[in-house]
Amino acid sequence: MTLTRLPADRAEHPEPAASAEPASLEAAAAEAAAAVPEAAVLAGRDAYRAELTRLARTDPRILCLEADLGGRSHPFAEEHPDRFFNLGIAEGAMIDMAAGLAMAGYRPFVSTFAPFAALRAAESLKLGLGYLGAGVSVVAPYAGVSGAWFGTTHHCLEDLAVVGSIPGVTIAAPYGEAEMRAVIRSAAASGRPHYIRTGRNATPVGLHPAADAAVPVVRWDALGGAAGAEAEVCLVSVGEVGTELCLAARAMRPELAHAHLCYLDQEHLATAAAELAERHSRFLVVEEHRPVGGVAAGLALLMPRCTVIGANAGSTWPSGGGDHEHVLAELGLDLAAVLDAADRAARH
Amino acid sequence: MSVLSTGPAPATEDTDRVVAELTERALAARRLIIDMAAGPRGCHLGGSLSVTDILIAALHRAGQDEATRVVLSKGHAAAALYAALHVSGVLPENPAPLYAEPGHHFTGHPNHVLPGVLFPTGSLGHGLPYAAGWALAQRLSGTPGLTVAVLGDGELQEGLVWEACQVAAARRLGALTVVVDRNGGQNDGLVADISPLPNLVERFTAFGFEATEVDGHNPSELHAVFRARRDPDGPPLAVVAHTVKGKGVRAVEGKAGSHYVSIDAAKAAKWKRFVK
Repeated sequence: MTLTRLPADRAEHPEPAASAEPASLEAAAAEAAAAVPEAAVLAGRDAYRAELTRLARTDPRILCLEADLGGRSHPFAEEHPDRFFNLGIAEGAMIDMAAGLAMAGYRPFVSTFAPFAALRAAESLKLGLGYLGAGVSVVAPYAGVSGAWFGTTHHCLEDLAVVGSIPGVTIAAPYGEAEMRAVIRSAAASGRPHYIRTGRNATPVGLHPAADAAVPVVRWDALGGAAGAEAEVCLVSVGEVGTELCLAARAMRPELAHAHLCYLDQEHLATAAAELAERHSRFLVVEEHRPVGGVAAGLALLMPRCTVIGANAGSTWPSGGGDHEHVLAELGLDLAAVLDAADRAARH
Repeated sequence: MSVLSTGPAPATEDTDRVVAELTERALAARRLIIDMAAGPRGCHLGGSLSVTDILIAALHRAGQDEATRVVLSKGHAAAALYAALHVSGVLPENPAPLYAEPGHHFTGHPNHVLPGVLFPTGSLGHGLPYAAGWALAQRLSGTPGLTVAVLGDGELQEGLVWEACQVAAARRLGALTVVVDRNGGQNDGLVADISPLPNLVERFTAFGFEATEVDGHNPSELHAVFRARRDPDGPPLAVVAHTVKGKGVRAVEGKAGSHYVSIDAAKAAKWKRFVK
């Protein structure tokens, strides 16, 4: 599996020093163009920034807050400088301040890496978004191990467990630009607390049809085969990596069904479980998360008459470098593992 | 320079009358707090009695100016907040008989469903950034008004406080006033013994605040602080209010052991008779 990504992380970290002479501008541009898919799509966080910037043109309540990880050129800051606040490296204060802004009638969106949003500022999420119900949207890139060679401090395989246990917070893990934009639109319109998880720079094209309107609770994958109610196993994909893996698995095994879930909080999962169980009885949930507190664990409780197993990031601490795929391989979350797990689900 | 809506007291304001009113309210609030200590579960008495005068004065300002909000960050002093809200006319119900009782919202740390309570506080450190966010919103919406965050001195040991101070100073939230109830005590004993906080005024000044000190039991000084002119785009204000834990009840005044107290009705009656 290869996640498509832009060549360089433009914002928060310098790239490792190049060993050769600096490339010419022309060569760098050509390299970037080659790395970007033909129908260029935005990575999750770029899609978030673009959509929020667009929405803010007509909604003066929208504010954009960053904690020093928004990059030096942020489209929202450029277009709406009076409503953009880089509060510095202060994640807990940022989320609490956003709660204060929301209670005063604004619709603040805050963004920082998933480990800092969901783990360092977990209590702020519990109290501000959960208990108080403040309409803050937290957009968290670097979910899973998409931080790759930046190491374990920048990984986040625990956020669904933490945030999922906080009642009242809508959780989304969009796949592709269109779905991210749809989730941002919905969050801005609702004014309800959201936690929106995305990767680093991966640019999945998205599922068809594109989520240009509301994102369905269950998106049934219509591509890749004729699998339907007769399918022995239904893959359930979560997030960018989970969905890429499920698409790859289904390309090899068209007999598998595939349902993609974007919204992952308990309320949405309960609705999704009812729809899933109407069609299938054996499920393999693929997610870039720990097994404890993940979507598979949640669905298993909601579908006691069904078989639900997971292909996930396991319980080890990845400590090696490399790209995203290397770290996923270190965790044992790859196509082979998914196909293996699908076989196990079929035998259940 | 733009200023908040409240300027110097109008010539017609009878400061002596206001101070007398604040004094009377504080006394009534202290009696309610003692009642709560005499309830079946007791209350955080020492820190409630130390912060009472601060809350009464801040709520007086809020009563004069609807854009002003008061956030009690040291939420364990909920008994004082409920009492102060009641005697200030914000909370219609007498909180004392309902404090910590099943089915009622007068919990041991403030519940935001109550009138006059904007944020749930008590997990220390959160009240200040909530207030900073509120102050920023007021600036964005062009609403004049003061946002007052009341913290304990022990609470200043929380990292989140200084994270929020850094942001508030950097953003020049001049409508934000941070009051530190400097009673010198915390749960396990004296602040000075556990993790001292010397040079508080200098600390806030170093962060970019304006800072001052007051007698936290002097209604005249407190009233003056809350009605002084502030530049909403200037530095935020820190007020180190020197207080006495357990203030007003001789049996517990200045005693670290007054942090959480449960008493019987007879003792409560006696304390209420002599409370100052």
